[in-house]
Amino acid sequence: MTTTESSTDQSLVAHLLRRAAFGGTTQELDHFANLKYEKAVDELLNAQDTKSIPQDVIRRYHIDQSDLRTRPSSSGNWLYQMVTTNAPFPEKVNLFWHRVFATAQTKLIQGKAMSTQLDMLREFGLGKFDELLLQLSKNPAMLMFLDNQDNHKGSINENYGREILELFSMGVGNYTEEDIKECSRAFTGWTVENTDYMTLKMRNNTMRPYGYVNWQFKFDPEDHDDGEKTFLGETGNFNGEDIIALICKNPATAGFVARHLYHYFVADEFPVPQWPHFEPKDPAAIKVMTDAYFESGYSIKAMLRALFLSDSFKSQASWNARVKSPIELIVGTVRLAGGYDGPSQDVYEHITASGYMGQDIFAPPSVEGWMGGADWISTGSMVQRVNFAGSVIGNLDNTGVVALISKIKSDAGSSSSSESLVRSCLKNLGNLEVSDETLVGLVQFTINATLRSSTEKIPSANARPDQNASNTSDQAIASLLQLIVSTREYQFV
Amino acid sequence: MTTQTKAKLNYVDTVGFGADVGGRGFHIPVDLSIRPDGRIYAVNRSPRHRLGIRVGICDVNHGWYHEFGSDGTGDGQFTGPTAITHGPDDRVYIADEELNRITVYDPEGEFISKWGEQGSDPGQINGPSGLKFTANGELLVVDHLNNRIQRMTPDGEYISHFGTTGKARGKFNLPWGIDTDAQDNIYIADWRNDRIQRFSSDGKFIDMFGSPGREEGQLERPSDVAVDQEGFIYVADWGNQRVQMFDSDWNFQQSVRGEATVSPWAQDYLNSNQDEAEARTRFNSIIEVDTDDPHEASSRVEGYLWDPTAIEIDPEGRLIITDSLRHRLQIYQRANE
Repeated sequence: MTTTESSTDQSLVAHLLRRAAFGGTTQELDHFANLKYEKAVDELLNAQDTKSIPQDVIRRYHIDQSDLRTRPSSSGNWLYQMVTTNAPFPEKVNLFWHRVFATAQTKLIQGKAMSTQLDMLREFGLGKFDELLLQLSKNPAMLMFLDNQDNHKGSINENYGREILELFSMGVGNYTEEDIKECSRAFTGWTVENTDYMTLKMRNNTMRPYGYVNWQFKFDPEDHDDGEKTFLGETGNFNGEDIIALICKNPATAGFVARHLYHYFVADEFPVPQWPHFEPKDPAAIKVMTDAYFESGYSIKAMLRALFLSDSFKSQASWNARVKSPIELIVGTVRLAGGYDGPSQDVYEHITASGYMGQDIFAPPSVEGWMGGADWISTGSMVQRVNFAGSVIGNLDNTGVVALISKIKSDAGSSSSSESLVRSCLKNLGNLEVSDETLVGLVQFTINATLRSSTEKIPSANARPDQNASNTSDQAIASLLQLIVSTREYQFV
Repeated sequence: MTTQTKAKLNYVDTVGFGADVGGRGFHIPVDLSIRPDGRIYAVNRSPRHRLGIRVGICDVNHGWYHEFGSDGTGDGQFTGPTAITHGPDDRVYIADEELNRITVYDPEGEFISKWGEQGSDPGQINGPSGLKFTANGELLVVDHLNNRIQRMTPDGEYISHFGTTGKARGKFNLPWGIDTDAQDNIYIADWRNDRIQRFSSDGKFIDMFGSPGREEGQLERPSDVAVDQEGFIYVADWGNQRVQMFDSDWNFQQSVRGEATVSPWAQDYLNSNQDEAEARTRFNSIIEVDTDDPHEASSRVEGYLWDPTAIEIDPEGRLIITDSLRHRLQIYQRANE
């Protein structure tokens, strides 16, 4: 790994793009590798989307993505953004928050509320954590998901009050049961407009008579407990904003958020319920982020910048050390294959495939989100992953794949060996690094495929390894790409 | 000094009900055509769900007649219906932007014929999105992905076309809806150019109106246009979630955001679901929203128009609006102030 004043090692850039984005094309890799690493990080973190398919175009052709009633509509709409944006980092962060602030359309029924929550994450997810937590606490999807419309003055419902402490900010062990009650009291009266009707419609699960009505936050002063409360050792007539301020200045919150960020962006940690019982794997990385948290006034972007610049993140030990989530696999593969050049029914096939692989966007399995890590891999999901990636990257009807193959051939040169063709494929698949054993297998496959292309004969097991591969057919290269995305190495990020 | 009299749109009624599996009601109606006898034919897109893809026939007095068509590629079926119109022969013509074909039915919805071939050559179509018969019985097809208007015979024979891709006058960027006026001038909702263009009956550019924005008189992705017998022009200002009315010189008259009420069909539903009817007694359908985004605001206010996709004038001069995402028709009538 090398970084200089003016450039960065391609492998490090590839690692950065895998973690902070959805991997990179060779053009993206080349671009960032020509920058000093710190500048590459800053450019990635501050990029503005100028390329994603406009929402009006999507809504015209996918009218279902205008009312966003069904889950393929709402999650498919997000997939469009992830695949077509030229600022992927914020979308990666949105996925992170969706995992932490797990909210499920399966209970809420209407996808518009989920989409509105996503818009909120997009706006506040990289800002100050206290503002994000405030917006989350006012977010109708979250309020309804955790039943805060049933949290009344004199009759509290602890669901949101508990989860904001346990799952969203501090973690178990850093507050008491009494704190949960006091926290819940502070959030009484935080509800949605037309509470009764909206709750009933959600329960009855019916779009009649006139479709779903999206929710809007409402503060009901009549239902708010304005009395004195003692929370985390401090006493006052706290409301929700006060509670969030107390939460965010607590060191436990900085540590909890940092551990989540490490868990998602660097290396798999223990499952969250075990965090009270085990120290973080990398205390130095956590400290870098908690320092940034307080120095920046709770900025998430500052924490991530500090993380990406840290030795913990850059260390080769963390490269390709996490299993790709289904969405990372799908978005990354589709982007490599050229993405979507307009509205396409493919988006529904792709988002459905994510569910088959174990990650139904907007339908996390519990309030704790997806466990991730090795849980992504099972006999069934592995078949789905390989079939999906192979079908996308090997589709010669896709002009993006044809362009990718053309680039691979160009990079490999006019008199390339089978090995150089394989290496060109690996480079064009995000600078994928494979073991020697895998490389030998890929090269042998290429030798056989090249012979098949040039002679139309059954290849010999003793084919010469220096066989000129420049005449390898597009179909053979597509097959090679399919084989590469089927490897163990492609499953990691 | 003379004072210009402004026309005013008065809300009349709401027809419809969300029926996503067929039956009395609509599921994402995207266009309508009104027969001379006043019967309204509304074509439902019903995306994803697809069980509600069909044409529903009703009238402004909440009469429900029947429905025809279904999801599929067979004769009489459609997968991506966008436009419907009646021909002078009383036949019904439906455009399908996914199958790139026009299907012809008798007034009862029985399949008669179909035509259309995808492409960009004269006579071929790519994403038909609007249909309108001229006074002399020729069918104008908004061939939107080819950014042109094609003039065809009712049987699909090519006659001529006008328009190309672009922003200059007479050019289009993904046009959508179409109408003609009493002089047979042609009006096109030039969707992604945020304007309405007016052409003579032979396709010569006359003038155009519109600039992007949310102010009165500005347009954001207009999806359809209708002209009444006195020349007043109505624009489905889709991106702004409203309908605007102009006089024939494009002078702004009024903008309506929608004020739907509970239709008799909806009331029947509430009568048989007493828990919802009871909760609805405390339901404030017009809340003050905390967003400037018209689409988001429409999602939160049940009475507002939400994706007003198509508009037509009925024989009594009433303006019928397909309130697509609310599965209903909102009806207005013009009056002079």
